[in-house]
This record gives sequence, C-alpha cells and structure tokens, in this order.
Amino acid sequence: MIEVKNLSYSYGKKEILRDLSFTIGDGTFTAILGANGSGKTTLLRCIAGLTAAQQGHIDIDGQAIGSYNARERARKVALVQQHPQTDLEFSAFETVLMGRNPYQRHLQNESKADWDIVEQVMRQTNTFHLRFSLPGEMSGGELQRVMIARALAQQTPYLLLDEPTSSLDIAHQFEIMELLTDINRNEGKTILIVVHDLNLALRYCPETILLYDKSLLFKGSTKEALVNERIQKAFGVSSENIGGYLKFDSANRKEC
Amino acid sequence: MKRRLNIWLVSAGLALLMAAAMLVCSTMGVVRFDRTELLQSPIFWNLRLPRVVLSVLVGAALSVCGATYQSVFRNPLTDPYVLGISSGASLGAAIAIVLGLQSYLWGVGAMALMTALLTILLIFKVASTGNRMHTTTLLLTGVCLTFLITAAISLLMALHQDKMESIIFWTMGSFASASWMDVTIVLPVTLLGIGVVLYYSKDLNLLLTGSETAQSLGVEVEKVRRRLLLFTTLMVAFSVSACGVIGFVGLVVPHCIRLVCGSDNRRIIPYSIFVGGIFLLLCDTVARTLIPPNELPVGSITSLLGAPMFIYLLYKSKRRI
Repeated sequence: MIEVKNLSYSYGKKEILRDLSFTIGDGTFTAILGANGSGKTTLLRCIAGLTAAQQGHIDIDGQAIGSYNARERARKVALVQQHPQTDLEFSAFETVLMGRNPYQRHLQNESKADWDIVEQVMRQTNTFHLRFSLPGEMSGGELQRVMIARALAQQTPYLLLDEPTSSLDIAHQFEIMELLTDINRNEGKTILIVVHDLNLALRYCPETILLYDKSLLFKGSTKEALVNERIQKAFGVSSENIGGYLKFDSANRKEC
Repeated sequence: MKRRLNIWLVSAGLALLMAAAMLVCSTMGVVRFDRTELLQSPIFWNLRLPRVVLSVLVGAALSVCGATYQSVFRNPLTDPYVLGISSGASLGAAIAIVLGLQSYLWGVGAMALMTALLTILLIFKVASTGNRMHTTTLLLTGVCLTFLITAAISLLMALHQDKMESIIFWTMGSFASASWMDVTIVLPVTLLGIGVVLYYSKDLNLLLTGSETAQSLGVEVEKVRRRLLLFTTLMVAFSVSACGVIGFVGLVVPHCIRLVCGSDNRRIIPYSIFVGGIFLLLCDTVARTLIPPNELPVGSITSLLGAPMFIYLLYKSKRRI
C-alpha cells in the first residue's frame, strides 16, 4: 500500500504540489491525470524516491520511502521513464539484466536464476527476439517494452510509469496498455501510471488520481473522475461521454 | 559465469603480455648489454627497471581513470587530461616545489591532490545543469581550466626562476627521472584506486544509463559517484606528481578496448589496467629510444596518437552533441 500524506513539494520558490493526501491499494491500476504543469511527473518521482518532498510523507508498505536505501527501494518500486535513452551500447538483454542489480552484490555476476528471470520477462513483454539489438536499432514501441521488461525484472510489488506511451502511435499505445493490464491482472502488481490521453486512461485504468492546480481534485474510479464537470475544471475543455469514449469540444475552452 | 571466466582468462593473458613487454622494454636502450651484464648493471636496476614499472603503473592508472570519467560524466570524450584534472594536479605539484615540499615523501602528491580535487569541484559547479552535463560545456570548462592553470604555472615559473626546470618537467610529462622512490609512492595509491573502481565497475554501467535510472535500479548514485571521483582523482594526482602531465592515455586505451569488447565496464576496467600499462610502456620506450641519445617527451607521443583519436570521436559523436 502506498500512503501519501499532506505532501507538498516546491522546486526553489516555485510550488509544484500542494498538500496531497491519498492511498493506493495493493493490486490497483491507477492513472495520474492532470493538465501540463499540474505536478504529475513530480508526484511520480516523489513516490519513486528520486526526490524528497519538503513537507508531508510517503509510506510504502508502512515504511517511509526515504528510509529505504537504494537497493531496498529498487526491490519495492520500479520506474519506467518517459524517454528511454537511445544512444547506449548495451543490448536489450544486457539492459533488462540491469533490472536484477538490486539483488546482486558488488563484484558478483549474474546467476542462472537472474538469466531465467530476464528470459521470462522478455518473453512476457514480447522482446526476447530483440535480445541482441541495441537501443538505436529498435523502434520506440520495442524500446519501451524493453524498459518495461527491465522494470519487471526488478520483481517489485509496485510499478510506476511516466507517460510510457507518449511517443508511440495508437496501435503501440494499446499494445503497451494491454501488456500493463495483463501484468496487473495476472501478477497482482500495483501499477501507477502518468497518462496524457484521457481516453486511454478511461479504457484501461480502473482508478484515477486527478490533479488540478498543484493539488488533488479527485481520487476514485476513472469513470467518476472523467465526468464533464471535472474535466472542464482540470483541463478547461468540455466533453461528452459517448459510449465510453470522450468527445472533447474545444469551443468551450477557457484559459487556465 | 562463462563471462566471468572469460574476463579472468583475457586479463591473465593481458597480464602475461604486459610482463613480457616489460622484460623486452627494459633490455632496450642507449646502453646495450648482453644477458649477464644486464643483471649486474646498476643502469638496469636503478634506472630502467623503475622507469618501466612506473610507466606501467601510470598507464594503468590513467586508463582506468579515463574509463571511469567516461561513464561517470556519460561522455566518451573525457579523460583526466581533457577535463583539465591533470593540469590541476600539475599546479599543485608546481606550488609544492616552490614551497620546497619535495623533501617530504607524500608532499608533492598531497598538494597535487588538493588542486586536482578543486579542479573537479569547479568542473562540476560550472558544467552541470540539473542532472545532465552537456558535452560542449564540460569540454570547454576543461579546456578553459587548462588555460587558466597553464597561465598560473607560467607565473609561478617567472617568479621562481631558480626552480623553473623542475616545474617545466611537471608540465611536459616524462619518466626520465623515475626512481624506486616514485614507484613506492605511486604503487599503493594506484592499487587502492584501481581496486575501488573495480569494485564499482557494475555501477559504472548503470551510471551510463543516467543518474535517475541508476538510482531507481538501486545505485546510491551520489555516494558512488563521489567515491569514484575521489579515488580516480587521487590516482591522477599521484601519477602527475611522479611523472608530470601525460595526455590522452585515458582516452585512447578505453576506446580501443571498447571497439573490441563493447561497453561493459566489467570488461573495460580490468582490461584497461593491462592495456593501459602496455600502451604507456611502449610510448615511453619509443620516447627514449627513437633518437638516441636524446629523449622525446612521452606526452608528445601519447598526444600524437590521442589527439587524432579525440577528433575522430568528436566527429563520430557529432550528432549527439
């Protein structure tokens, strides 16, 4: 369980997050939604333990995120970032193998068990045939699947993703979201994902954290979150839900 | 498992090659001996052998430092010389000479370490923007610091003309005055430094993927980076205090290894030790035997090989800058 209590974050003098409190239950699949600059990525980075908030605290499984050391944290929370690096000279297999780092000692090489786990997660993400490819040789969708495989190799109860589909075409967006749905359902992994596309969230993520103006606007089911009234407030456009698909109307756009 | 065996085997092979190169190079020189004369000659024992050993040690240290900087700064174009850290150390060495600290065993090295650490702190302050260091800023910072330090050393020389010759020696780089004393100072520092880098060689791979990714994969990024920079700077400082500034070794050696074995630092670091040792040994042997009885500065030979390599790498990575 991830518990966020009275979290406030500022970067220098600029306030990014203001007094957020919510709980994310085990085995849930939650989208973080909000307009640009509403603090989605910062919230995810705080939960991943990459940056410490000035006020409030985040507990993961009853223990403050800051009290884990890097190895312990990497066995609790895995993070897939928005833009995977493409200029590295490590093959897909070597990249995924890095996900086993939190379980290895210094100077210790990979065990047979590590290799088996890597093969299994690469088959699961349909990347095993790419194992000898370098990042520069893969397409955006393939590379993102390799990054998800690396996060799975960490064998964490929590998986965080920062807009993993932002640079992908629609078919590959669906592919990634379906993969995540499978992981959530079959393994009970708790997934927290920053999404830009509201329809994608509505289609795949049962739960939503909706941010507006640096603070929490709504936490609950995605269907309830994405009603016209809230969308209008958070994004400044009006919308209509037609058979489970949101249709937006830019005419009513307000400055926000 | 298999990989690990391979690394040991290749390392052992390279170590043998290095030992052979040391033997051959120590018999070469202006004064020629036959086998029995050689083992009785003080020229062999007190001049050539310490020189050969020191060049191997410094070559290994500089190569390992270069490979480390390339991963820590995530930049293929860095080495102790290009970043200005060697020059920083030479300033400390020059100050130590002016103050007359050579008479203390660790005096010159300690002073060189201080200025080298200051240099690397300055580089960090100037070149880092957020989490990333931009290649151009990093290289420009290094070059400008080198200019500044060269000017400061010139000033020191002008003010202390009696010590000019020994200061010039530090800025040029040479093994001509190598002694067993130098070896006893450089050996423990080099072993310690290389040991630390080897210990963190897997973390170096993860650092290459970016500091945030490394952190989320379980690396204590700040701690590891600080330790690596401290111990590599220590190696650079003591190398420089023993033989002056020798450029581009840390650039040429890791890149040649990378061309053959890929970019896994668990190979690059151990191989750099031996290939670096052999490389600088050969460069120094050429420097002292090419135009007898005169000597070339070994730094000019490494630069003749290294500078074109730098230009090639710059050309190759142009798209990324």
